[in-house]
Amino acid sequence: MSDYIYSYRESGSSKNITFIVTKDCQLACKYCYLVGKNAKERLPWEVAKKAIDYVLNHEQDFQEESVVWDFIGGEPFLEIDLIDKICDYIKTEMFRLNHHWFNSFRFNFSTNGINYDSQKVQEFIKKNRQHLSIGITIDGTREKHDLNRIWKTKDGFSPKPEEEKGSYNDVVRNIPLWQEQFPGTGTKVTISSADIKYIKESVLHLYSLGIHEVNINVVFEDVWEEGDDKKFEEQLIQLADAIIDGEFYTDYTCSFFSENLGKPLDKKLQNQNWCGAGRMLAVDAAGNFYPCTRFAQYSLRDKKAWIIGNVHDGIDKNKLRPFLTLDRCTQSKQECIDCEVAEGCAWCQGENYDAAESPTVFERSTAICKMHKARVRANNYYWNKLYRKLELEGIAREEADKHVKKSNFQEPC
Amino acid sequence: MLQYLMILLDDTSTSYCHYNNKKSESKLISIEDLKAGIFFGMTENLMIQYVYPSHALPAEYEDVLESIDHSKIMPADNPNVDEADVVVFNDWKQMEGFSYSEGVSYVLRINKSDLFEQKVLIADTIEKTTKLNVVITDVESFCDEDFDTYKGVLQLWSEKLEKLYAEGKSPLLNLLTDRMQLEEMNNCGAGESNITLAPDGKFYVCPAFYQTNSDTIISPAFKAGSLEEGVHVKSSQLYKLDHAPLCRKCDAFHCRRCVWLNRKTTLEVNTPSHEQCVVAHLERNPSRQLLENIRKHGQFLTQQEIKEIDYLDPFDVKEEW
Ligand code: SF4
Ligand code: SF4
Repeated sequence: MSDYIYSYRESGSSKNITFIVTKDCQLACKYCYLVGKNAKERLPWEVAKKAIDYVLNHEQDFQEESVVWDFIGGEPFLEIDLIDKICDYIKTEMFRLNHHWFNSFRFNFSTNGINYDSQKVQEFIKKNRQHLSIGITIDGTREKHDLNRIWKTKDGFSPKPEEEKGSYNDVVRNIPLWQEQFPGTGTKVTISSADIKYIKESVLHLYSLGIHEVNINVVFEDVWEEGDDKKFEEQLIQLADAIIDGEFYTDYTCSFFSENLGKPLDKKLQNQNWCGAGRMLAVDAAGNFYPCTRFAQYSLRDKKAWIIGNVHDGIDKNKLRPFLTLDRCTQSKQECIDCEVAEGCAWCQGENYDAAESPTVFERSTAICKMHKARVRANNYYWNKLYRKLELEGIAREEADKHVKKSNFQEPC
Repeated sequence: MLQYLMILLDDTSTSYCHYNNKKSESKLISIEDLKAGIFFGMTENLMIQYVYPSHALPAEYEDVLESIDHSKIMPADNPNVDEADVVVFNDWKQMEGFSYSEGVSYVLRINKSDLFEQKVLIADTIEKTTKLNVVITDVESFCDEDFDTYKGVLQLWSEKLEKLYAEGKSPLLNLLTDRMQLEEMNNCGAGESNITLAPDGKFYVCPAFYQTNSDTIISPAFKAGSLEEGVHVKSSQLYKLDHAPLCRKCDAFHCRRCVWLNRKTTLEVNTPSHEQCVVAHLERNPSRQLLENIRKHGQFLTQQEIKEIDYLDPFDVKEEW
C-alpha cells in the first residue's frame, strides 16, 4: 500500500507547472470560478509537447529543486489518454536530458473523483504510483455536496433548479479505493455563503468517510451576505466543540483551526506575498503561458487574460516582474497593514486582479475580511478550549504537540 | 498631488515622450471643452501645458488659449514654433539647420538606431541648446548589444559635456545632467502630478493612453474621468512612488519611470521592464563619473553625492533590500 505514496522531497523550493488539459467537466458546480468553461477546448498534444520542451530546455530558468506537474481542468481525468502521453514524455525527456528534476518530480491531480475507478485512470495510477498525488474534491455531507456539485445537463449547460442532480453518490463510492491507494490524503472543501450552515456536519462526515485531513477555505470572491460572519463563527465553534469533545484532534485535522492565525503582522519581517502566482507556470490549449491558471481567460469574470508568453516564443520575463516584486504591504490597504488579526488572512492574486479597480495585481481584495475575523475568534476559542482540556488531563502545553495532529495546509490561491 | 494639466489640442498633437502618436487624422478639441478644461485647471490650481499639432489652429482658439498662463509644447514643424516653450523634434533631420533659442527646451524623440548613428549630431546640439531632452522611443527593444553601444554613446556625450563645463558653460542634457542635480526621484508623474485632457473631453493618465491603440495596453481603466465628472484616476495609489516596489528603492532619480511603458512591457503601471531600468542605470553611472570629472575643473554641486553601485537592474538586487 505504501507504494502509492509518492517519494517527493518536501524540503526546498518547488516549481508548479500546470497543464489546463480541458475546460470541460461533467459537473456544473455553482461556485466554480471557471466562468468560461466549455467542452471544445482541449490541450492539443503538440502544444503540451512544446511546453515541456520549452521548460526542460531552459533548465537555467527553472532552478527550483523539484517540480510538480499539475493537471487541471475542467475535469482532468476526462483526458486520461493525453495525460498518460504527456507524463510518459516528461519522464523520458527528463531522463534523456539528465535534468535535475528527474529524481524530484510529481504529477498532481485535482479531480472530481467521478471516473477515478475507470480502467484507464487506474492503469495510469499503477504506472506512475511513485510520483503521484491525487486529491478528490468532496464537499461534505450529501446535502452540502449536492447543493453545489451538480451534474451538467446532457447539452452541457447548468440545469434548471428543478432539474438539478447532485454528484455525491458518484464520488463517494470511489473514496475507499482512493484512500487505500493514497492513504492520508486530504480533501479540499470550499465554503460559499449558502454552505456555511453545513460546515460542522460536513467536516465530521468527511472524517467518518476515513478522510483525516480536511483542507477547507472560504471563497475569496465577494459573495458574503449580511450576518454570514456570525453564522460562520457559530458553525466553527460548534465544530470546535465536536472535534474537542469527540477527541478527533488526536488523529484528524481541519485547516480552519491553526495556531498560526490571527496575530498582527510585522511590516518588514512578514511582508511576503501570500500566493505563488508568477512562481508557477500554467499552459492552456492555445499554448499561452500564465502566471497561474486563475489568470487564464476562462477563470476571469471582468478582466483580460494575463498572458506571460507562449510555447513558441517562451516566457516574457518582464511580465513576471510584478509578481516577483509583489509584497504584502504594497498591495494591502492601510486597514490590512494595521490589522490586529492579519496573520492567516489569505488572498488569491487572480481574484485580486479580477476584482481590482484597474488591471493590476497590486490591489488586494478584502471581500473575506469579516469571515477571517470570525474565523480568528472561533480559532481562539478552539485552542483555548483544547489546551485547557489537555491541561486538566495532566498534559502540559509543551507536551501538547504529541497529542494533537496539526494541519499543514496553506490556503490555496 | 495634481500640479499640471496637459491639454491635447488635437488628436494629432505631437507626442513629447516615449510613445508614438498613432492618430493620424486631425480632430481638434472643441472650444467648449477647451474652455471647460481651462476652467478646471484654474479651479484646481493646475499649471496648464498645451500640446500642439503640426498644423496651425483656427483663429478663434487664440483668445481662449491665451486666457490663462500656460506653456506651449510644439512640434518643430508647427508654423508658430517660435512661440513654443518646448520644441519637439520627431525626426532628427528637423534639427539640421534649426535655429535654437535661449530659454527654450528641446526634445528629440528618436529610436535607438538613429540615436546611435546620430550621436555626433546630438553631441553638437548639446552645445547649441540650454536644455536638450533626448527621449528614446523604443527603449523596450534594447538588447545586450544595444546596451553596450549605448554605453559608448553616453561616454562620448559625457566627454563633450565635461569639456563644455570646463569652459564655464552649463548646458543640460537630461540623460546625463539631470541625475547630477537631483536628490530625490523626479519622474514623469503621470496620474499623480499630471493628468491629460484629450480632444474627446476625457481625462487620461497620460497622452499615450489616448493616442496609442494597443488593445492589451489600453484599457478603459486608464481613462481618468471627464470634464463633467472631474478627475478620477483608478487605482491611483499605483502611480505613487511608495507603491512601486523597485523604483522606491532605486536612485536613478532622473528616470522617467514611464507608466505607459511599464504597462506595455510588464502589464503593471508601477513595475518597470528590465530594459527601462538598465537604460536608466547606464545613464546614472556615467552621470556619477561626469560629476567627478567636472569637479576636477573646479567646485561643482558640492553637496551632491552619487554612490557607486554594481548593478544595472534593481530587480537583480531586490533580495538585498
Ligand atoms: S482583509 Fe480584513 S482581516 Fe484581512 S488583513 Fe485586511 S483588515 Fe485584516
Ligand atoms: S531605473 Fe527602474 S527601478 Fe529605477 S526608477 Fe527607473 S524604472 Fe524605477
